[in-house]
Amino acid sequence: MNDNAWIIAIAASIGAAIPIALAAVGAILHERSGVLNLGVEGMMLIGAMAAFLAADAWGNVWLALVCGVLAGGALGLLHGVITISLRANQIVTGLALVIFGTGLAKFLGEPVNGLKRPVKIDPLEVAGLGDLPILGPVLFAQDVLVYASIALVVAVSLYIYRSRAGLALRAVGESPAAADAQGIAVSRVRYVHVLAGGLLAGAGGAYQALARAPSWNQEYTINGLGWIALTLVVFSNWRPGRALIGAVVFGFALRSQFTFQTEGIDFPPQVWLQMAPYLLTILVLIVTSSPGARRRLGAPAALGVPYSRDER
Amino acid sequence: MTDDTTVRPDSGPGAPVLAATGVVKRFPGVVALDDVDVDLRAGEVHTLLGENGAGKSTLASVLCGAYQPEVGTVFRHGRPVELRSPRDGLAHGIAMVHQHFRLVERFTVSENVVLGDPQLGRWLARGAIDDRVASVAETFGLPVDPRARIHDLSVGQRQRVEIVKALYRGADVLLLDDPTADLTPQETEALFVTVRAMTAAGKSVVFISHKLGEVVEISDRVTVMRGGVVTGQVARVDADRHELARLMVGRDIDLDAQQFAAGSPGSPCLIAKGVTVRDGEQTALDAIDLEVRAGEIVGVAGVSGNGQRELADVLAGVLAPTSGVVEVNGQPIRSARAARAAGVAYVPEERLGTGLAPSLTIGENLLLTRRRGALVSRSAARRDAREIIARFEVKAPGPDARCRVLSGGNAQKVLVARELAGDGQAPKVVVASAPTRGLDVGAIEQVRALLDDARRNGAGVLLISEDLDEVLAMADRIVVLYRGRISLEADRASADRGAIGRAMAGIA
Amino acid sequence: MIVVRLERRVATPRWIGVAVPVASVFAALVLAGVFFVLTDRPPLTVYSEMFDAAFGDVQGVKNTLVSATPLVFTGLAAAFAMRMGLYNIGGEGQLYAGAIAAAGAALLWTADLSTPIAIAVVFVAGAVGGMAWMLVPALARALLGTSEIVTTLMMVLVADVVLDYLISGSTSYWRDPLTIGFPQGKEIPDAAQFTRWFDARITVALPIAIVTAAIVWFVRNRTSFGYGQDVIGDAPHAARYAGISERRTVLVTLLVSGALAGMAGAAEIGGRIYKLEPSSLRLGLGFTGIVIAALARSNALGVLVAAFFLGGLRNAGQSVQAVADLDLPKSVALMLEGFILLCFLGGQVFSTHRLRIVRREPARRARASAGASS
Repeated sequence: MNDNAWIIAIAASIGAAIPIALAAVGAILHERSGVLNLGVEGMMLIGAMAAFLAADAWGNVWLALVCGVLAGGALGLLHGVITISLRANQIVTGLALVIFGTGLAKFLGEPVNGLKRPVKIDPLEVAGLGDLPILGPVLFAQDVLVYASIALVVAVSLYIYRSRAGLALRAVGESPAAADAQGIAVSRVRYVHVLAGGLLAGAGGAYQALARAPSWNQEYTINGLGWIALTLVVFSNWRPGRALIGAVVFGFALRSQFTFQTEGIDFPPQVWLQMAPYLLTILVLIVTSSPGARRRLGAPAALGVPYSRDER
Repeated sequence: MTDDTTVRPDSGPGAPVLAATGVVKRFPGVVALDDVDVDLRAGEVHTLLGENGAGKSTLASVLCGAYQPEVGTVFRHGRPVELRSPRDGLAHGIAMVHQHFRLVERFTVSENVVLGDPQLGRWLARGAIDDRVASVAETFGLPVDPRARIHDLSVGQRQRVEIVKALYRGADVLLLDDPTADLTPQETEALFVTVRAMTAAGKSVVFISHKLGEVVEISDRVTVMRGGVVTGQVARVDADRHELARLMVGRDIDLDAQQFAAGSPGSPCLIAKGVTVRDGEQTALDAIDLEVRAGEIVGVAGVSGNGQRELADVLAGVLAPTSGVVEVNGQPIRSARAARAAGVAYVPEERLGTGLAPSLTIGENLLLTRRRGALVSRSAARRDAREIIARFEVKAPGPDARCRVLSGGNAQKVLVARELAGDGQAPKVVVASAPTRGLDVGAIEQVRALLDDARRNGAGVLLISEDLDEVLAMADRIVVLYRGRISLEADRASADRGAIGRAMAGIA
Repeated sequence: MIVVRLERRVATPRWIGVAVPVASVFAALVLAGVFFVLTDRPPLTVYSEMFDAAFGDVQGVKNTLVSATPLVFTGLAAAFAMRMGLYNIGGEGQLYAGAIAAAGAALLWTADLSTPIAIAVVFVAGAVGGMAWMLVPALARALLGTSEIVTTLMMVLVADVVLDYLISGSTSYWRDPLTIGFPQGKEIPDAAQFTRWFDARITVALPIAIVTAAIVWFVRNRTSFGYGQDVIGDAPHAARYAGISERRTVLVTLLVSGALAGMAGAAEIGGRIYKLEPSSLRLGLGFTGIVIAALARSNALGVLVAAFFLGGLRNAGQSVQAVADLDLPKSVALMLEGFILLCFLGGQVFSTHRLRIVRREPARRARASAGASS
């Protein structure tokens, strides 16, 4: 077997993992506050589209990235207004956001559909380390956003589990009534994290458009990455670190077919590899359905429930 | 009687730490508090004693800022304060421990305690936080493990966490709403030790209860409430259980005159044998044997929480007993459907949510127990609803009004009418739980008349009520339920109010 | 400080039921208009062209009915579950499964059948396919309480993989073996291809959709089962009190919901595509169905209206591409759909609540004396 092909495959699956991981970490923050986010796909598409349009207009990749992030954030804010202030059904609103995001991205992206991306995010070799065997290409020849994303996952983990604000965030998602009784502003906490979810989904979309997809294609540039990110959120049990690892595994499962083919390996069949993440997630959900498991694992207890002090 | 025992809040040294005067609080259809005065002194345990619905919890909610009264003023150290949320209460050092805890289940004890503390650092130093929480808890003799997770704790331990939360935030007035309701005797004893430690440290405690025995044990003063008014106030030195029981149960003003003629019982129609209900460690019902004959009312007296709810559910087939059997006219009852088929009508304790579906209309709610076959006719139900509204003077916009908009009394009329003023078939057995609780006098009369009609028509009626007057006025036989057992059984003729009151309170 | 608060309405005035949806659509058109202006297209012209294409003439209405037909099925699928508080997010996947089953059954059995029987075979197969795709989520929800929201969504993603696999990833029974470069599905026998009526793609699927909606309405409003759904959705304790089995009702409801979405797949195969064709099936019909159910507030007859409306929008999106000087992409329909949905969802609260402006001042007093006493 050719070791080199596998190293390239693993290195590539890390790159493939970044857009999903960014969106998933965003969705984790979003849902930890108790607001369900089924709209990730729409947020990623809007982020990708905005980034591509900006790149096309100004030719600056970093400006494009910022535009993508902000566009995703705008959609997150919209989600917040409708579900937090106007108390709409979070499930239907999330799906509506996918339709809205997809429609708007296609409509505004129509003029550039099929165009090659004008600028791209280039890999950045960490001085000297890129030549290391195995670890070199896998860890030290990625672009700056890969490093930034890994740092972000660590930072978000610390934030959720070690900071005062993270404690408030978790309390709001688990029991808004308890948080409210202790003087925490439930709506404000929710708004902040729903916005963060949008910004990060936008970042994931922008990265996909600027670093991974060679051209803008309204059907294929994002094509389900948001749904995969959502799967990761559940699969990782709302934990950022596990989501990052899961993203690499999913990234490998989703693109390893080529490597398997070129290496002449028939097993496992591609179709099973592609379904595995979803089937495993269903299995995880069923296994953790017991009352005992639910006490420790699973979704934030108040996920999907609007909160209002007067109408408990 | 209230005038000579009420203390006016005066300012200056020695003023009560917390007081309220002239408090009026209304809910749709009821006056929950009617011109109530209360005060709390430093370092005392002041108990609010009364039956369910007497207004104790409402008063405590006013004192902690959860409710705003329509009329009346709350005084803190003699100065009037406006409490508009529990947050305001907390800022004034007033904390309430609710009967239903406000805890984050997946958090550790110390995470729950420090949550929302504005003085907490930006980053959590777990060791330091755990130590601080442990030291607050130790000061008052509250053994809690700061690292334990809430869902691993017993009810008593959770309650301790709630108390530690209040103490950590510096509260010096604690309102404990029915704190012993779900506690074991040992846990209750531990709670009392804590309460004494707190008062010794100069803190004041408002203790809400309906259990006479423990009230006498823990309180410095007792304010007895009934139907939203204060009926008396007693200092501990004067506390006499019999006197307290009399103040608590009272003598009904109008309804005392309304005595119902005794029935003429036939053969047994409802038989329960050795009915036991266990939920984990708790035994709700312990080998109950009970018989109700056709044409009689059997009254079940007792303070709520002694197994009444489970007994009613088992007899109506809604709850399967752990062991034992229930039969109606020889038919075994194993499900709600079987019970209905055997002619059991059931007025549950919880009206909205169990007896009635709140978002469905009055008409639709009639279908809940009046469906036959695979099809339902909402238009026929609407006609029936119109009839019930007219006949029982239900105050409702119409048959299409959702039940949640009805007042308690009107909702109960709909529920009782559905169960008793039948669609052709008269019920053979009636199980009625707290059927008149919280109703006004007119509604009470109508509900009682319907129960009496059912008896006359030969139904066996089981009337579960906390209102001893009601039981004495209506029942042919009386049983008292105490901690899941029948602690007393008496005929109407031989019923002695004092003996029943003692059996209710568990005083042998 | 002035605070705007939402307060629950004591009574809902009758006009609110009309005013809120109308205002929502108006707000959506205004907001979307901003984007038309930004891209140099006169909004009013766009809207009038779209309205004409969808509802302006007989041909437009016919095309709208064609677009609306599968949406009725997916809308009913979502509404049937939603009215009792269950969320079948997987209509899209059940639609694919229904299409796979319908195409398979048509290929296997209908070559020698008469048309009516062939139609029945296609629809029954579609329903069974959709139901089968719902089986695991439904059992998990009814027996273990596993949230159906995520499991049904996961099944969509699985169905998506399977769909591709059957046509382009393998030489399956569904694939036309003669196609190699661009693999395609095998065309189903003539007997299973629904006859086109009125010079349009209107087929027997439309009356079946309407009758299905009527049946669903009847079950929801006139049967004991539908009544039980209402009670469980509102007050599970009341259901227990009345002896209504929650487990059984949840299981049946979810399976029927899956079957209804599967029928949408059958309608697409027999009435429009005639073969298993992934790209033609992937129109988001299942997801739009959830939105339709929300617009219709889970009422089966409301689903007909909402499906007609959104079908018109999709149809307009197709037709308006032909208007050269507007240069509109097809996606304009999806974008407008998004705007309307979001405005509608955001506006819903005003049918149960009203805005009240509250002036706040005394808060300072409470805080100040709090400081003094501590």
